[in-house]
Amino acid sequence: MIATPDQRLDALRGPAPRMHHNARTLAALENNPRCMLRAVLDASGSDKAAIAAHTGYQAPFGQSSFALARGNVFETMVKANGCAELLRVLRETLQLTLPEVGYQDLNDVGGDGRAESRHARTTHLLTAAARGHGSDTLYDHPMLRLVVGGHPVFLEPDLVAFRVDDRFHVVEIKSFPIVDDQAAPAQVRAATTHACAYIIALRAMLAASGIGPESVSDTIVLIAPKDFTNRPTGAFVDARKQVATLTRQLERIQRIGDLVELLPEGLTFDLAADDTGRPQRPAQELAEALDQVPATYYPECLNHCEMAFYCRSRARADGSLDVLGSAVREQLGGVDTVTMALGLARGTLTPNDDQVEMAVALRHAARLRVELHNSPGAAGAAS
Amino acid sequence: MSRVSALAHLEAMEAMEAMPLTRFRHRHLSDRPLVVIPLTMAGEAGTPLAVLVGESRRSSTLLVVGQPRNRDQRFAFAAEFGRIVMGYIDSCRQDRLEIPSRGEERRSRYTSAPQILVPNNGGIKALSDLGRMCRFRRTDGPYPVPAVVPELGKWLTFLVETAEQAGTSMLLPMTGLLGEHWATGQSALEDQNLASLMAWISPPDGLTVQEAMADAENPELCPPAGPATSPQFDNTYLAPAMRRFDTARATGNEQALAEAQADLRGLLSEQLNPTWRLMWTALALLRGVDEAPRAAARFERDCDSFTDYSDYQDSGDARPQPKRDGAIRAARRLSRLERALADFEADMAFDDPYVRADQRSLGEAFAGTVVAAEPDRVDITASNRRVPRPRVTVRTLDPVRLVDDTKLISPTMPPGHKAEIVSIVRDGDASLIMVEVTGGMGRARVPRPGTVPVVEQHIDYLPDPGWRPTPVFPEADQIPWTHAGDPEDSETMDPVAAGQAATEEWGDDN
Repeated sequence: MIATPDQRLDALRGPAPRMHHNARTLAALENNPRCMLRAVLDASGSDKAAIAAHTGYQAPFGQSSFALARGNVFETMVKANGCAELLRVLRETLQLTLPEVGYQDLNDVGGDGRAESRHARTTHLLTAAARGHGSDTLYDHPMLRLVVGGHPVFLEPDLVAFRVDDRFHVVEIKSFPIVDDQAAPAQVRAATTHACAYIIALRAMLAASGIGPESVSDTIVLIAPKDFTNRPTGAFVDARKQVATLTRQLERIQRIGDLVELLPEGLTFDLAADDTGRPQRPAQELAEALDQVPATYYPECLNHCEMAFYCRSRARADGSLDVLGSAVREQLGGVDTVTMALGLARGTLTPNDDQVEMAVALRHAARLRVELHNSPGAAGAAS
Repeated sequence: MSRVSALAHLEAMEAMEAMPLTRFRHRHLSDRPLVVIPLTMAGEAGTPLAVLVGESRRSSTLLVVGQPRNRDQRFAFAAEFGRIVMGYIDSCRQDRLEIPSRGEERRSRYTSAPQILVPNNGGIKALSDLGRMCRFRRTDGPYPVPAVVPELGKWLTFLVETAEQAGTSMLLPMTGLLGEHWATGQSALEDQNLASLMAWISPPDGLTVQEAMADAENPELCPPAGPATSPQFDNTYLAPAMRRFDTARATGNEQALAEAQADLRGLLSEQLNPTWRLMWTALALLRGVDEAPRAAARFERDCDSFTDYSDYQDSGDARPQPKRDGAIRAARRLSRLERALADFEADMAFDDPYVRADQRSLGEAFAGTVVAAEPDRVDITASNRRVPRPRVTVRTLDPVRLVDDTKLISPTMPPGHKAEIVSIVRDGDASLIMVEVTGGMGRARVPRPGTVPVVEQHIDYLPDPGWRPTPVFPEADQIPWTHAGDPEDSETMDPVAAGQAATEEWGDDN
């Protein structure tokens, strides 16, 4: 019997509970869509942090309780009293003409907090609103579903959708500041990626009822503290490009079935946890299983992927140029390893047809380095 | 980055030790820099948590904010830190030297300029945030602060602005200084970690580079160099200590407060001390590298801009820098930054054979041997004067991409040497470049000895960056309407807005 992709993915994960996509996995997806290891681990819902830790390369990600507390306090403040502060920003700072505002909290449905019932209620209300029924403007905590790799994923409902001029807008509330109308680009980008997932999920939900994508705006509303104060301010962020990128990547991950086909039979990343949750699988065996799947490592992975330290050690062991990052890589197109690059530079390796030009340039560069080492007063290496 | 620099990184990766990227250190280093290691609180924008500051390895001052969310404590910290920084800046304002000037205006400048060293770019951002937080504060009205707070704010903002400009030395990140001179076998991202970078250049005694690198990424062995602290440290140690401090303060228990304060100071100094030692070790290493010949002239320009800003501060109506540049200030800044970068690159290439090697591999400069010469060649100028215009042909293996008529200068010829490319002919792997010497030969009809390259001489040529006139910008009241923009952005902030900026609301005010 041939296993379906879903069965294969479940086998890869083992009996452990499925992990859901979160802000970090979405960022990893956006930044390194071509990494097969990441795609397979995320699609199978494997616990990357636990896997990395068991191989001896614990991911250094953690969140400071200060940052968490600050984030929560700010969000609560913005949403207090039926989103009074949020409305003030939308009206005063962003100059939107909002009529009478109805506020709808979708946090639980008559005491039922299950994701499925919340999703059903969200679908019911938002679809009705898109068709012009209902008078609500703000929808807090809508429960959305995104299909990633063929699996529905519930998205953490920490957003508000609001409706103006017959379109939904996604509001991201973040606690990094907008100082003098400028915010840190990396943080804005991460927030936007998150919001893009919501836009895509919202559109998919409405599309199921035959409502077109134009009913959800590509422009997100970012709400963040103004300067060093606690008062919120807002800004529009054009997310068109990132929505397109993420959509493309999600489409690609749909073909996860094809990727799985390429993997050897019986491959699993199961940690064989005992009753207390402690992994019993030999670390060496796990590492061998991971080595069956090619990874695309960039130094930037260190910022968001739990597997990055493991992949880096693998890249280092292979002498891969990926270790040095894109600035160096760009100078050495078509060459993958240090040994090969230095071999071509020193003339001890013969270039293949694609490498001829690169080899000439490298030999010239190597001559210059030798000239420098031999010149009087050459800078010595540190000792 | 060129292939030559890329090779240096590969060599480092192969040898597992840092390799030199330059012959010289291109930044002036002060004999008495002020080392500053700022820490900020997670989740709160630019909120100072602590700073370790001092002028020598053995004398550091630790300042700690017990509860960073509290406005009064934050500004008490800013005032204390401000007194240290201003004391240091004042110590650079002792001697003034008259400088010869051709104009009517007599000028003078301070003989010294401040140099603040922080561990990394994040340190500069932390000082920039602190500067922004302090410079609009008022000494009167609601929430008054000591005068030193806005003064610190303005000076920090000034220093941060100079740090954006290539070649300056008044505020520098240590990782940047080290990275300019040494190539490591890791990525630029990892080089941002001071401990990791230092592991390649000078691992601690008894450790290999690999071991030192692994330690550098372990926050328990090598606490981060800031400004962010490690989340584990925050959750395990800092948060409980801060709660004890808050409780003691709320209950007014003097002894408990003193203990809690001592606790916090102990914790933070443990986090900061390893970086402190690393900073001074790195500084000693950099002092061991020869300073580039042209760094001295750049330092004089630093002294100039320091003097100008200092005089402006003394002038009585010194205003804080605007929140956003207006059209003219922005254009002026951009032009200044572009020129500074071009000048710095040209200076470095002239001084340093390593930097020149980068340019040579990109085809933007060349070096080779003179294979033919016409030393007696003479030209007749338009005014019918006979001038020496010797021509020489240089054979080089460099992949030259310069075009005919490019003006050249040469660091291997006597000062003032100028030449122009006449023609470039490929000769197998090599290029034969004919150049005409146009200057630096003296005023006589016959060139001074040694000013014209001779056959078999090895010579380096690079493009002459030339002289560029200072651009002229319109006055503030003559900005074309297309660029006038929002009056709120303009340099002259109106008094009402300035007042609002001074009293803006804060973390725990409400």
